[in-house]
Amino acid sequence: MPYFGSEETVKELKRALANPHVQADRLRYKNYITKVIRYMTQGLDVSALFMDMVKASATVDIVQKKLVYLYMCTYASDKPDLALLAINTLRKDCADPNPMVRGLALRNMCNFRMPGMPEYIEQPIVAGLRDKASYVRRVAVLGCAKLHSLQPNTDIDGSIVNELYALLRDPDPVVVVNCLRALEEILKDEGGVVINKPIAHHLLNRMKDLDSWAQSEVLTFLLRYRPRSDDELFDILSLLDAFLQSAHAHVSVATLRLFLNLAAAHPAVQADALLHTSAPLLATCGSASRELRFAGLCHVQQVMRSQPGLFGTHYKRFFCGYSEPSYIKFRKMEILVELVNDENVALVLEELRSYCTDVSPELAQAAIAAIGRIARTYSEKCLDILTGLLALKQDHITSAVIQTFRDLVWFCPQSTAAVCQTVEACVDNPQDSEGKQALLWLLGEHGEQISSAPYVMEGYIDGLKTELSSAVKMELLSTSVKMFLCRPAETQDMLGRLLHYCIEEESDMCVRDRALLYYRLLQRGVEETRKAVTGPKSDPSMSVLTGRQEEPISLWASTFNTLGPLSGRDLCLQTDIISASEQPSSSAEEELLPGSKDVTLSSPNDTEEEISLSLGPPLSHETFEKMWLDLEILHRQTLGFPRPKTAADTLQAALQLVKIQTLAFTPGDTVPWKAYLYTRGTGTLILAELLQEDPDEPGSEGSLVVSVKQQPGNQHTIRGFVAILKSVLQTLHFDRL
Amino acid sequence: MIHSLFLINNGGDLFLEKHWKSVISRSVCDYFFEAREKAVEPDNVPPVIRTPHHYLINIYREKIFFVSVIQTEVPPLFVIEFLHRIAETFQDYFGECSETIIKDNVVIVYELLEEMLDNGFPLATESNILKELIRPPTILRSMVNTITGSSNVGETLPTGQLSTIPWRRAGVKYTNNEAYFDVVEEIDAILDKSGTTVFAEIQGVIDACVKMSGMPDLTLSFMNPRLLDDVSFHPCVRYKRWESERVISFIPPDGNFQLMSYHISAQNLVAIPVYVKQNISFFETGSSGRLDITVGPKQTMGKTVECLVVTVHMPKVVLSANLNATQGTYNYDPVTKILLWDIGKLNPQKLPNLKGSLSLQSGAPKPEENPSLNIDLKIQQLAISGLKVNRLDMYGEKYKPFKGVKYVTKAGKFQVRT
Repeated sequence: MPYFGSEETVKELKRALANPHVQADRLRYKNYITKVIRYMTQGLDVSALFMDMVKASATVDIVQKKLVYLYMCTYASDKPDLALLAINTLRKDCADPNPMVRGLALRNMCNFRMPGMPEYIEQPIVAGLRDKASYVRRVAVLGCAKLHSLQPNTDIDGSIVNELYALLRDPDPVVVVNCLRALEEILKDEGGVVINKPIAHHLLNRMKDLDSWAQSEVLTFLLRYRPRSDDELFDILSLLDAFLQSAHAHVSVATLRLFLNLAAAHPAVQADALLHTSAPLLATCGSASRELRFAGLCHVQQVMRSQPGLFGTHYKRFFCGYSEPSYIKFRKMEILVELVNDENVALVLEELRSYCTDVSPELAQAAIAAIGRIARTYSEKCLDILTGLLALKQDHITSAVIQTFRDLVWFCPQSTAAVCQTVEACVDNPQDSEGKQALLWLLGEHGEQISSAPYVMEGYIDGLKTELSSAVKMELLSTSVKMFLCRPAETQDMLGRLLHYCIEEESDMCVRDRALLYYRLLQRGVEETRKAVTGPKSDPSMSVLTGRQEEPISLWASTFNTLGPLSGRDLCLQTDIISASEQPSSSAEEELLPGSKDVTLSSPNDTEEEISLSLGPPLSHETFEKMWLDLEILHRQTLGFPRPKTAADTLQAALQLVKIQTLAFTPGDTVPWKAYLYTRGTGTLILAELLQEDPDEPGSEGSLVVSVKQQPGNQHTIRGFVAILKSVLQTLHFDRL
Repeated sequence: MIHSLFLINNGGDLFLEKHWKSVISRSVCDYFFEAREKAVEPDNVPPVIRTPHHYLINIYREKIFFVSVIQTEVPPLFVIEFLHRIAETFQDYFGECSETIIKDNVVIVYELLEEMLDNGFPLATESNILKELIRPPTILRSMVNTITGSSNVGETLPTGQLSTIPWRRAGVKYTNNEAYFDVVEEIDAILDKSGTTVFAEIQGVIDACVKMSGMPDLTLSFMNPRLLDDVSFHPCVRYKRWESERVISFIPPDGNFQLMSYHISAQNLVAIPVYVKQNISFFETGSSGRLDITVGPKQTMGKTVECLVVTVHMPKVVLSANLNATQGTYNYDPVTKILLWDIGKLNPQKLPNLKGSLSLQSGAPKPEENPSLNIDLKIQQLAISGLKVNRLDMYGEKYKPFKGVKYVTKAGKFQVRT
């Protein structure tokens, strides 16, 4: 083992390296050097041998040189004074007739990370930039970047930068790309390398000569170039067309990213590019390497956010294999849920059903949750499967099924009756606290439909002393109170016991406070309690709104082909972190992607959290008319789709759900169609008019136009209001298609 | 781009590290070890791990983790493919890519890593060019080196770096000019209990070995190019001609390379060469079970199925298997719970059968999940998709080359559910 007796080993090696007999025998000498390197790689500190190793660098044997250089690079920063001795040899090697030796020496000299180095390497680097061998030029170009990183606080050397920009025209493609890489590092603080029109076109024309890695990097650099005109844009895109189907997944994905960003204003081009790349992406999802498969799946998931239909026919490609790692299986299940339609639902469910009995409990639970998601649309079939799973009597499965039921009942209230029946028939109860909470919630919310509910609850109350989780106790309190309100005769006694225990004996403060709260509430009288405890339940029509919408491509195009989507859910956070750790291009990238910030603002999730609308006291027709005439139009926007062809009361109900009141609208199919709406949000009153012109009339696009007035003005609220209004109308519109 | 690389074996020992920029302490790997611990199985370690200051991107190959440290935003596919390229290069140089072989050749490994990346950017990755920079070790050469004391490094720069076509060096000369093409197809399929295909597709590649003098310009055409709908080519192939005429026209690299890969997923085109009749059941009482597997030919187009191997992943409670095989040998490993039945050649007259009893851990409940079967097989002289090479023409050179095409079909991820 390297860590034991290390001093002995080092001494022994030192003796051997200094032995003139060994030095005379080239092979034995080299063997000892190899041994030193081997110990070094195992983490043993062999820096004490530095002197002897420096001596060994004076040799004609390239392999021995390489080994000694490797050693010197590792320990140079620890022994700067000794390393200086080696520099002379290296500088001599930089003038060797063999380009291989020149390159090697230059590269290693640049890799010495110690103070005082720059003055020695600057001259060889500049000479290397003009070397006739491309191998040396490649090394020298990157050497410029290393030189800069050795003296981070000094000014940028303008002459070197100019030389590098000039070398972008070098005949050797690797030199060209290395120039880009070096400039990017040197000019980090100024926003990286500048890609102007001549450079961009030069790079595009050289694309064919580059190897795949360089192609991928150049494509990333090109992201910061904005074509001046549409003609130029289409020239660029047609040049890059072939790369969309490159043999290397990373090239085709990088090309796609460039397409999506460049053609942000041409949705048809974007859609076409996505269609072209779908085959390489699918091939990546079936590649032999599991890591590539995983990356492919993550990219497919992103594409599906905007084009869910693209992979619909290939749903079988996302079935899990037996021996696949779980991180792939999780992604595949997520994708399968999105791909479900009327034709394949039976097969997909059958497939997911078989994953539910997987040996890994996490996978089984994820599969059950996936079935639960599908159940929001195809409740009957899924309920059958879930009920069947309960019969297996496996703790983790039962718990997951009950949790799924809870979510299902909330999102899809029409399934309540069936769920209640199943829960009633289910004999064994979940054992983990998550499952217990779900079951208790179901009992409390729908206690009147489950006849055995009080008995199940009594079991929990009796076992209260052994219950460890305070979350379960809290849920139990809420459930008991709700149950008491609908079935007082059966529950009164046990509720009393529960409250008594929680107030007198419970040690957890939160539980005790909750119990006291309910106790005082009950003292105010049953009706008061009912008002407070049984709020409105979920509304069946809400499922219309939870349906998934197609997101605009710009929402994810900026994170496409980056690390974010692969390493977790919270995308924005990811990019922040990476830009915090000395990422130069991200700020430049943000400039390049105008509007990306605005888009995130108007994404439906954000707004629903940020602004809350309320109805407030009703407005009379007269007041509305008066205010409408008095106020200025603050915001006008074309929504981009015609009015939903739903019946008037459906529209009204849907808007009421998101707290927007409809005052009046033109009946039936008369044109122009108008509607007047109002709502209140964050202290302001918002009035709005929806208008659709006659689609046959020239000059109108047949699309809805919304005009908003407000008192007092607040732009933020208006944006939020429009976003909500738009999402409701969009859902209704697509629902009818 | 790629800051550092750590190689870590299955047991969690870090046995090689390489830094292309400043040295990053080994302690960064603690985040990896944490993830490794959480994943239980080495297969399940997520490829991208986030740490406060870095990203760790890793691949797991041949029982080795290749862990790369990333400090700036990079395209993930790029890094993953590059790590695989490193592993492939080791494989190419040393014949296999294992911990022992890397440790034995640590010097060449370092030379390779040094040439493949500089300052964290990919430099030379084409096997052709690398082999001229650093000669691969062979038994003969290491013997000669021992005697003469010469080294493994090329004394001259590869000429390929100067040629106008990056993938081919100038001035190639052979006495025998020959071009061989191997059409290799792998069937990925999932069959359900009753033998119906749940999912099937063919992954095909055409590997080429071209040893021809000068700058030959080759054109390869197929009898039925319409079969291929999803293809990707070596950069040497002229894509425009494929799009317009459906022929593959190219100036080949020297030596071995992968000309193209393709993918056929239309299910009616994918023939399934064998069928499996199986019955694996466990009894409610008596802690035992029965197993009965028969394999027979289905659509083999008149060719013989060879190297047939059936692998069964048994549930954890199966202790041992007492079976009888009419052909081939079987072996049950009670540690990994894998039953391996090596059949060999499939004889259509006398179908191989494996039958007998399984004994379970006493007192354990009847296993819930059903084991699934993995099939491995090989069919010579047949591309299962029916793809056929029509002819190979050469332009640009005077000589007459020797040409050959070989077809092989193999099982990829071929799985039968029970």
